[in-house]
Amino acid sequence: MSDTPSATRPTPRRILPVAGATLAAVLLIVVGSTAGGDDGPAGAVPAGSTVTGPLCDLLPAGDEPGNPGSLVDEPADRALQWIPVLTTFEAAVRATGLAEELTPEVTILAPTDDAFAGKFSRTNLDELLLRDTDALHELLRDHLITGALPVAELVAAGSVTTVAGTRLRVTGVGQGARLDEQAETVCADYVAGGARIHVINEVLGDLPTTAGQDDDGHPAH
Amino acid sequence: MRHRRTTAGVFSALLAVTLAATAQPAAAQQPTEPNQVQDLTVVQGDGFATLAWTPVDGATDYQIERTPVAEDGTATGASVTVGLWRPNRQINNTEPTFADAGFAPGNRFQWRVRARLDGDPQPYSAPVGDTTRGHWGDPDVPGPNLRTQWESTLGAQYTNDVNEYAYTAAIDDLSDRVRVVEIGRTLQDRPINMFVIGYPTPPATPEAVAATNPLAVNCNVHGNEPGDREACLIMARQLAFTDDPTTLGLLSKTTMLIVPTINGDGRAANSRGNADGQDLNRDYSLIRQPETQAFVEMVRDYRPIASYDGHEYGNSNTGDLPMLPPRHQNVAQGIFDESQDMIEGHMYTEGAKDGWWACPYGCTGANVGLGEETILRNTLGLKNVVNSLLELRSSGGPTRPDEGNTANNRRRKTYSAVWTFHQFLAYHGANVGDITAARAEAIRFQSANTGRIVFRGSRPIEAYPAPHPGDTPPPLDAPTAERILEQPPCAYKLTEEQYHGARDDGPDGQQTTVAQRLAAHGWKVIKVAGGYLVPLSQPERGLVPLLLDEQAAEGMVAGERIAPTLTGTHHGPLTVSGVACLADATVRGPVQVRPGATLIVNGGSINGSVNASNASGFVLTAGTVNGPVNVTGTIGPVLLVGNRISGPVNVVNTTGVAPLVAGNTVNGPLGCSGNAAGPVNLEVANSVSGPRFDQCARL
Repeated sequence: MSDTPSATRPTPRRILPVAGATLAAVLLIVVGSTAGGDDGPAGAVPAGSTVTGPLCDLLPAGDEPGNPGSLVDEPADRALQWIPVLTTFEAAVRATGLAEELTPEVTILAPTDDAFAGKFSRTNLDELLLRDTDALHELLRDHLITGALPVAELVAAGSVTTVAGTRLRVTGVGQGARLDEQAETVCADYVAGGARIHVINEVLGDLPTTAGQDDDGHPAH
Repeated sequence: MRHRRTTAGVFSALLAVTLAATAQPAAAQQPTEPNQVQDLTVVQGDGFATLAWTPVDGATDYQIERTPVAEDGTATGASVTVGLWRPNRQINNTEPTFADAGFAPGNRFQWRVRARLDGDPQPYSAPVGDTTRGHWGDPDVPGPNLRTQWESTLGAQYTNDVNEYAYTAAIDDLSDRVRVVEIGRTLQDRPINMFVIGYPTPPATPEAVAATNPLAVNCNVHGNEPGDREACLIMARQLAFTDDPTTLGLLSKTTMLIVPTINGDGRAANSRGNADGQDLNRDYSLIRQPETQAFVEMVRDYRPIASYDGHEYGNSNTGDLPMLPPRHQNVAQGIFDESQDMIEGHMYTEGAKDGWWACPYGCTGANVGLGEETILRNTLGLKNVVNSLLELRSSGGPTRPDEGNTANNRRRKTYSAVWTFHQFLAYHGANVGDITAARAEAIRFQSANTGRIVFRGSRPIEAYPAPHPGDTPPPLDAPTAERILEQPPCAYKLTEEQYHGARDDGPDGQQTTVAQRLAAHGWKVIKVAGGYLVPLSQPERGLVPLLLDEQAAEGMVAGERIAPTLTGTHHGPLTVSGVACLADATVRGPVQVRPGATLIVNGGSINGSVNASNASGFVLTAGTVNGPVNVTGTIGPVLLVGNRISGPVNVVNTTGVAPLVAGNTVNGPLGCSGNAAGPVNLEVANSVSGPRFDQCARL
């Protein structure tokens, strides 16, 4: 613990520059960027960025902030911040310092918030995010594959090995992929700084399922 | 039960007022079909649109359809069923309404509504088109043009900590109505900020704010429930820059306190708990964590009279806005009743007007919404604050089927919270007399130390009459026999070790002592031989045993129960040395408290004068004194609450904490001078027939 919060605080990666600028200007930059400015991921959609899967229609699209085209040149950890169903996964990336492993040569199988809620009790999830980050880190590495692979290449490969060493059987399902009869891609083929992000509907890895063990059905206020 | 249950007839006035601003079907009406919904109107709010229509005989529910349209009315996107109106949405079914929300603000839409008869759809109404309100505030005017990260990204991202601080600081800079104060720091040293908002400017000190009967919103205790926090940030901007005369009128009479992020570490980590893994909403009584301690100290210093506590609720099949009052049975009845009036009397009624579905938390039969005093809702009730929990239903569920899109879901939640907090401000303004009366009565009641103590257990929440969802109110949660203490002690005595000793609960390196925590609560503690006395007869009496009794469900320390020393009648003069505690006692003669002694009187009567000189502590509550009361040079606390005193009262030269002189009826003058800290009354006035002197001139 230090007395200088800016030095010790695990600040979430921020989208907006703030130091030294007046806030009105800062925020107007963002407002402007939503209209197609060049400051970050809200710009025009580059060609060749097509995501596929049943969830894609429910995620930012067209010229909305966070649309797939706007993420193409973003580092993967920043791109994750723009996909609104990945708040748990994105927080886990920050909690474990995984960002440095999210190179342009990686495929990220990112489970949705619903997937995490279906896997872990809230108590368990807090434990992972706040204390047991080593276990969480290993879990996340079971969601990374070396090489930036479009979903079609995953399917064509038939099987892949995660960075944590787990072999996953891959079969095609529609335009997406099914992983080990366990998870399916629900919005695949985001490109982010060269990396590929496939949003999936179940948590992989071998941590025990704890959902429902506390008040998950009706979490108390 | 004081709260009013409105059943019908609340609408005509509203409609008359809003007619001018109401979008209606084009003049050229289509011929009416059987069972077709008629008279559809749309009124725009901030982030939502209220649809209203004339009910169709026999309709079992209604479907609401929304279509994005161009200015000329041509569709620019697909029609979507965004809502399902069910009879249990509102307390009256004669004037159905639905708050459609989730759309991106500022876009233009067309709405249609159709009835279903046992699931069988009937013809749609004629369409009504309208342009929704954009993000609040003129984009060309500095201040109003501020936007949160959440607004700028159209809900794709929540506002992060750094952007919150910048936004907060900008409002602070640009609005005279706002002062941002840092009430504490999180474990990871993030600032815990609070907007202090008043018109034309907020009062300068906590004490001055307290004098305005402030209201408070705690926006984000669980880091993974951020919807209310975004609402708070938006509302702070609205209050800072609005020209609305009604709002300015409200802010000219009170002060609104908004704590956007008490759990900044949990918000950043997207965790429920703080950085220590502690669920902060199980810590408001024990205050082991710096965040809860900061909040409780804020309550002590700013003294809000009413509050809301924002959450999200992981259930898809309940109301939009589950709410619940402080239910712990030690909460004063009037605080419970007034809180219920705020919820059922006001929010249910206004929700029925505007289309939002407020309901009792726990209405699905879940085992939630109970009496834990560690939960802010109950802690604040025990601190005599009229208040409610607010949940934002996490998922759209069957009644809001267009929320698979996360941004839509986030917008519905946040704008429903904006609506609630504005309604809260309106309720406070319209009922400040009732709230302060309930609070004053509660402070007198608690200070009297009468009646049983319940360590844990709730008041029942009665089912609201149909059609509103009262069929499954939250669990009864009545106290079991071992959770009840019929005869309250007079005080708890703590040893030096208990009071000042190091503790191992709380985060490593930041554990606080019992002394520090009781001080944060603002409790009066008397130093006596061999330890420290915490009298029950003080304004937060209902909470004292919950922390200090050996029988407590989640106690802080097991103090020694100190029983009354006199409960019957004493004839002749009474001289107190050591500690004397009179409970409903009768003294037929004068009382003299010797130097270093402590007198605690709860109820009863004294026929004669009461004189204390250089006492360790002096506590006189709910008593009748037929004679003068002179309290001079007290070393420790002085409490005079809810007494009837025939004769002059003088509190002078107290060397310790500020004497509390509140809610007394004094037949004679009231004089206070030379006290190291000026006496206070917690905004509970005394009735004094004679003059009030010096430090008590305004009490």
